Amino acid sequence: MSDVVDLAIPVEADLLVLARLTAATVAARAEFALEELEDLRLVTEELCLSVIGDAASGVVHLRFIRDGGEVTIECSVEPDEFGEPPAPEVDELSTRIIEALVDEHGTATRGSRPCSWIRKRRGTGAG
Amino acid sequence: MVEVQRRPVTPPEDWVEFVRTRDPALRDRLISEHLGLARRLAHRFAHRGQPYDDLAQVASIALIKAVDRFDPARNVAFSTFATGTIIGELKRHFRDRGWSVRAPRRIQELYLELGTASEALGHRLGRSPTVAELAKEVGCSEEDILEATEAGQGYRSASLDAPGAGNLTLADRLSSDDAGPALVEDRSVLKPALAALPERSRLIVKLRFEDGLTQSEIATRIGISQMHVSRLLAASLTQLRGAFGPEE
Repeated sequence: MSDVVDLAIPVEADLLVLARLTAATVAARAEFALEELEDLRLVTEELCLSVIGDAASGVVHLRFIRDGGEVTIECSVEPDEFGEPPAPEVDELSTRIIEALVDEHGTATRGSRPCSWIRKRRGTGAG
Repeated sequence: MVEVQRRPVTPPEDWVEFVRTRDPALRDRLISEHLGLARRLAHRFAHRGQPYDDLAQVASIALIKAVDRFDPARNVAFSTFATGTIIGELKRHFRDRGWSVRAPRRIQELYLELGTASEALGHRLGRSPTVAELAKEVGCSEEDILEATEAGQGYRSASLDAPGAGNLTLADRLSSDDAGPALVEDRSVLKPALAALPERSRLIVKLRFEDGLTQSEIATRIGISQMHVSRLLAASLTQLRGAFGPEE
């Protein structure tokens, strides 16, 4: 059983709730324990903030992929027409937080955009 | 002498040495070398309604725990291990403070109910329950659980004037059967008053209103009669009400 959910939201702190809720919903479908689900919600916010970086506008693209008891979240930012694409740099603290709460993480390219991703599995005790 | 670096990286042999000797001076150094990490993590959580100083203290204590528990033989960097420990303690801190929520009363109450249900179910299952299991236990939809846990995470900044409290005084709420949620909701206000109770009474109040145990269960747990529990509870509530003045 798998799901792929795409979400595109403007770069606005208030709308990150949509990313968290989607992450939690997908995690619930993957039968994550509540504790794991809360970790995923927290790390999703961290992922978004780290990818958004200094971008003041644009669109955050998120893809949530559930494959059985595993959830992968990809995040990239599409700058508005005047904006520069944010550098795919994740600050050290974000890296620490992400490392502590997920099983795998990395960077890739989605289309022409740099993208960061995280992966967490049900019941592995990560975090 | 050791050269002071801006971002010291503790050599692995220091950890091996510390595990072997538990040398207090080395422990102090390991802690101070990573205090920056604790402070930065505390800062990261500071927009969620708790004072930075409190969070920094929680994070620092968690760091000390991490230093004491770290096992260099496990294939994980100390900073990663410590980050997990510190985040865990910060989450617990927010949870213990009731995670000030700005949410509909229904969701606030559900969140509080979830705390008890999650713990009870966790004991039965021997693991943290899933959303589906919790929904079944509490008798609501999975969506409600997700909404309540989102609200309960305290992502929104805190509001001391909790909405939906109605016109009931704390004493009113304490005197009703519904005192549990009210008590938890007002825990930050209650803390000093609770601290003034004798230890056994404090435990009984906690077991009754935070953990949701019945008087009989508490009696069994601490080895006194149910009637005795009842008396101690009544006396404790009277004392707590007194702490809030003669509100009508």
